[in-house]
Amino acid sequence: MSESAIAVTDLVKRFGEVVAVDGISFDVAPGTIFGLLGRNGAGKTTTLETCIGLTAPTSGQVRVLGLDPTRRRDFDRLKRKIGVQLQATSLPEKAKASEILELYAAYYGVPARTKELAERVGLEDKLDRFVGKMSGGEQQRLSLALALLHDPEVVFLDEPTAGMDTFGRRILWGEVERLKAEGKTLVLTTHYIEEAERLCDEICIVKGGRVVARDTAPALVAKYGGDAVVDFAARGFAIDASLERVGRWNQKGDRWQVFVHGEPGHALAAIVSHANALGIVIDDLDLHRPGLEDAFIAITGEALDEDLGAIARPAA
Amino acid sequence: MNVFRVLIAQTRANFQWYFLRDGEMIFWSLAIPVFFLFIFSYALGGGNTKQTSTFLIPGLIGAQVLSSGFWGVGAMLATFREKKLLRRIYLTPIPPWTFFASLVLYRMSLLALQAMVLAFFGSLVFHVRFAGDPGSIALILLLGAATFVSLGTVIGAVVRSTESANNIASVLTVPLAFLSDAYIPIDRFPAAIGNTLRLLPSTQFIDAFRGISMHGASLASYGPWIGILCLWTIAGTAVSARYFRWV
Repeated sequence: MSESAIAVTDLVKRFGEVVAVDGISFDVAPGTIFGLLGRNGAGKTTTLETCIGLTAPTSGQVRVLGLDPTRRRDFDRLKRKIGVQLQATSLPEKAKASEILELYAAYYGVPARTKELAERVGLEDKLDRFVGKMSGGEQQRLSLALALLHDPEVVFLDEPTAGMDTFGRRILWGEVERLKAEGKTLVLTTHYIEEAERLCDEICIVKGGRVVARDTAPALVAKYGGDAVVDFAARGFAIDASLERVGRWNQKGDRWQVFVHGEPGHALAAIVSHANALGIVIDDLDLHRPGLEDAFIAITGEALDEDLGAIARPAA
Repeated sequence: MNVFRVLIAQTRANFQWYFLRDGEMIFWSLAIPVFFLFIFSYALGGGNTKQTSTFLIPGLIGAQVLSSGFWGVGAMLATFREKKLLRRIYLTPIPPWTFFASLVLYRMSLLALQAMVLAFFGSLVFHVRFAGDPGSIALILLLGAATFVSLGTVIGAVVRSTESANNIASVLTVPLAFLSDAYIPIDRFPAAIGNTLRLLPSTQFIDAFRGISMHGASLASYGPWIGILCLWTIAGTAVSARYFRWV
């Protein structure tokens, strides 16, 4: 049996009164793309920063390639084996992209393959541009090139596509797939469902500093998404005991959502006839096959996108 | 990885990024000291511009030594930390001291350039002569730089925000230059104040630098002050090493 590339055990991180990570454990097999999915503030970045030695755990243990990032000697060895794209970082504004790439190659003692790297991240015609004049997405792609230039075994990407346009996103996704083909281990944090679903072999859903579910995307959908999802708006709607058995219900204002267990047609019929009996008009009815987003809502009781707000569980 | 190669490459990069490509920086670090040299020499010289500029040149260079330490290294480190640039460097395999050393080396090269420019205008326009031994001049300048870099690094180690670091650096650099015999001869102050000001490491450094560079004094003749500057350097380094954080 091969050893885990990353093993996190009972990780806790407190910043003063704030508990950012509240007992997270997981391990990542070599060659896996592992995604930490959750809202902002769920503890994803803190967990990732603990793995790369930027943050010391309050308690618990982290091992990356068998090395302990909190120990000086291990950390020094680890730094050569990992590549990191941080969300919270910056590069000197008056530096040109090419100069940064050359300097980082010197840091790692590897040949500066500036052109090749620039092409990989789609910056081949931006090499002479000052960092300060690059768009946020271009800076992110430069930062990705810096994470990859020494051919690391494990790559950590913190919200890699935040603020990226479609072009940047496609480039990043392509690189992730290429790294996977090379057998690298990847850990990425994201709050984009599509990204997690498309890239990750394994998804770890994080809420309030805890792991609330962990599996492959299809398994999460099969387990939590139900057989179908029904969404509708109905003013004055309420569910009774028999309707509750149809599936798992969420409510936010006049909006209702049910993750149906069993035959979707029966559920739909039950909902419609219940509304008719109450004399209520149903608007905006939608029935669809569940996706990862539905599973996420079913698991966490809230939408991933903060703007949509939490969908509160109805009182029992 | 060749640490020496990285050190040189990073120092060159710093010089380019933070000096050559920054018009404001060129203005403040080169144009302003030269402007001060001319204005003060003519305004305060009372006809004897040679004597005044002989006093002013080591003072202006000395003030730049303070500014290199407090601003160039101290406040810069705080800025780098707040902009989350330090944490990225910290994750690369270069020994962290290399990055620090490259920042110091960059400021030392800039300081050498500033000193040469001031010396050039001084000798060309005001016929100033440097009586000191070049080796001794370099040594006292290096010691001063070490002292104020180590004290400046305390700012970078203790202060969290760029804004407060910049404020502290300004408050230390500007008034200190006026109170430390850099622009105004200290004997113009009442004796009690003058004697107090002589306790400042900045006064001691600028006086020693002036004596050695302009009047040909030996390092040994400033022995006690050199000793005190060494103690400040050790103290500053110890405090910085204890409190400095990369992230």
